Amino acid sequence: MSVATAGGLTLAGRDRRFGLLLTAPGLLALILVITFPLFFTLFTSVHDYTLLTPNYDTFVGLENYQEALDEEYLPDSLWVTTKFVLASVVIEFIIGFAVALSLHATRRFQSIYYLILLAPLLINPVVVGLLWRMLLHSELGIVNYAIGLVGISPVSWLGDADVAFWTVVLTDIWHQVSFMAILLVAGLAALPREPYEAARMDGASTISCFIHITLPLMRPVIAVAILLRLIFAIKTFDIVFIMTKGGPGTATDLISYYIYRAAFFGLDIGRASAMAAGLLVIILALTVYLYRYMNSLK
Amino acid sequence: MSQTSRFLVPLEGFRARLDVEEEMTANIRGAMRKRGRWRFLSWLLPHSILVVFSAVILLPLLWLLRVALTDKSTAYKIPPEWGQANFDNFIEIFTGYPFFSYFLNSATVAFGATVFALPLAVGLAYAFARYNTGGLSLRLFVLSSQMLPPVILVLPLFTLFLKASLINTLPGLILAHMTLSLPFLAWLLVAFFDGEVAILEQAARTDGATRFQALVRITLPVAAPGILAAGLLAFLLSWNEFLYALILSGPHTNTLPVGLSSFQTHRGVDIALLSAATICAILPAIVLLPFLRRYLIKGLSLGALK
Repeated sequence: MSVATAGGLTLAGRDRRFGLLLTAPGLLALILVITFPLFFTLFTSVHDYTLLTPNYDTFVGLENYQEALDEEYLPDSLWVTTKFVLASVVIEFIIGFAVALSLHATRRFQSIYYLILLAPLLINPVVVGLLWRMLLHSELGIVNYAIGLVGISPVSWLGDADVAFWTVVLTDIWHQVSFMAILLVAGLAALPREPYEAARMDGASTISCFIHITLPLMRPVIAVAILLRLIFAIKTFDIVFIMTKGGPGTATDLISYYIYRAAFFGLDIGRASAMAAGLLVIILALTVYLYRYMNSLK
Repeated sequence: MSQTSRFLVPLEGFRARLDVEEEMTANIRGAMRKRGRWRFLSWLLPHSILVVFSAVILLPLLWLLRVALTDKSTAYKIPPEWGQANFDNFIEIFTGYPFFSYFLNSATVAFGATVFALPLAVGLAYAFARYNTGGLSLRLFVLSSQMLPPVILVLPLFTLFLKASLINTLPGLILAHMTLSLPFLAWLLVAFFDGEVAILEQAARTDGATRFQALVRITLPVAAPGILAAGLLAFLLSWNEFLYALILSGPHTNTLPVGLSSFQTHRGVDIALLSAATICAILPAIVLLPFLRRYLIKGLSLGALK
């Protein structure tokens, strides 16, 4: 890119060779630990491979896929996952944007707020699950005690199906909202000053500045932040494992947890692989979209 | 830009503009009075939002600390009682339970996965940044590797590790965690090789340094702080990882998150002990936080934002 200025195929050729030399070990490692296992998943998904009969003797074609689609609770899990992803990303965006704008508007204590904001992001998700399980315990939890002080009757945070779903969503928000806030605050800091100065000259109000300048200029950052969180939210596993095990019923049975159960409780790795392959397609489609979008910004 | 264009305005246009600006100043003065209240509000509102937000984040963590420091029976008392703070729980999790082994396993795996992935990732990232090796498709490959839900990869890793007798071994777990750290680092490090360091390197090349010398003598030392920070982030990524460890480790290789998750079921929930253990588990992250804050944005936004 930068060295090829002197021209001549040999220079560019050497650059290429050096680049390939540097890439080769990492690329081989990636292929070994990621690509090969992924193809192995596809291979498993068309065989009758269970943990009771762990062999590849029986080729079954698309039977695992068919069986997976026929499963009674898969649609529930897909629906719960969709609801979970949408609810957490939308609420995180709203809270995250409010926090980002506030942080952008303050000078004093900014670095303290910022450090507090960053803290949840580095905290182990298992710890987050355990922490909120403890706080939200229906008899011994401090939350029910605290709301009792203001006259609200105790809530069964994890025992009631409707409530449990929102409990998991809120726990995830507590853990991940900072992600959204930090990306948005970085976006706000990079905005140009001139449009605001010009608008202020014309006597524009703070609110109309926000709607006509901030929002349009922030669009790329908002899109990237939302897409990234969307993809990450689909992966959510840990807090469900710790807090609800997918229950009550199927109220919090996110797809990652569903596939995990199919493989290691249902013992049917073949069928779980078929579902994993389906999930892979969705994630890859979202990633390609994100990648194209990120490149179109450059 | 607006300043230069203002100088280019012809004189008459300039006079007209002055009038307009005078009128505008008057408008602004009027507005200023009204804005006195506004200014107070626009100071109060952000701080209120941030204080509430900070409290929601901090209070649960402080409560965790409080429970960890009380004795076992006081921990359960509702309404809460404030006993004498002591460190008995912290001592007990290390003497009465295998938490030291969990710690050691977590540290070994996270360190191993980071140290093995880092040189490979440096090679990939540098080749991307300087020579655009593999073009857009290789970059997409690295990005998608990073986006994979762990549950997709853990199925084949489990069956492959069963065959290769890597289940329940630390090398197996290190290999599994490299599926996280390698793409993460490769993608993140590209940003550290772009920009000013490329100019320095170019100068060295003109002075006769080979490509390899320029990389080793110029670029790596200049990018070292970024590489170190990225390494620490990758360490935490692996330190916090749960699903791979849950499935691929056994009694002797359990990592901290797996230890914590099983702690709850063994003997009811001993929340004082559990809190002490979780405090220990998040301590490395909290200690590293101030050093990593500058790099966290790059790491989180996957380089989409600087």
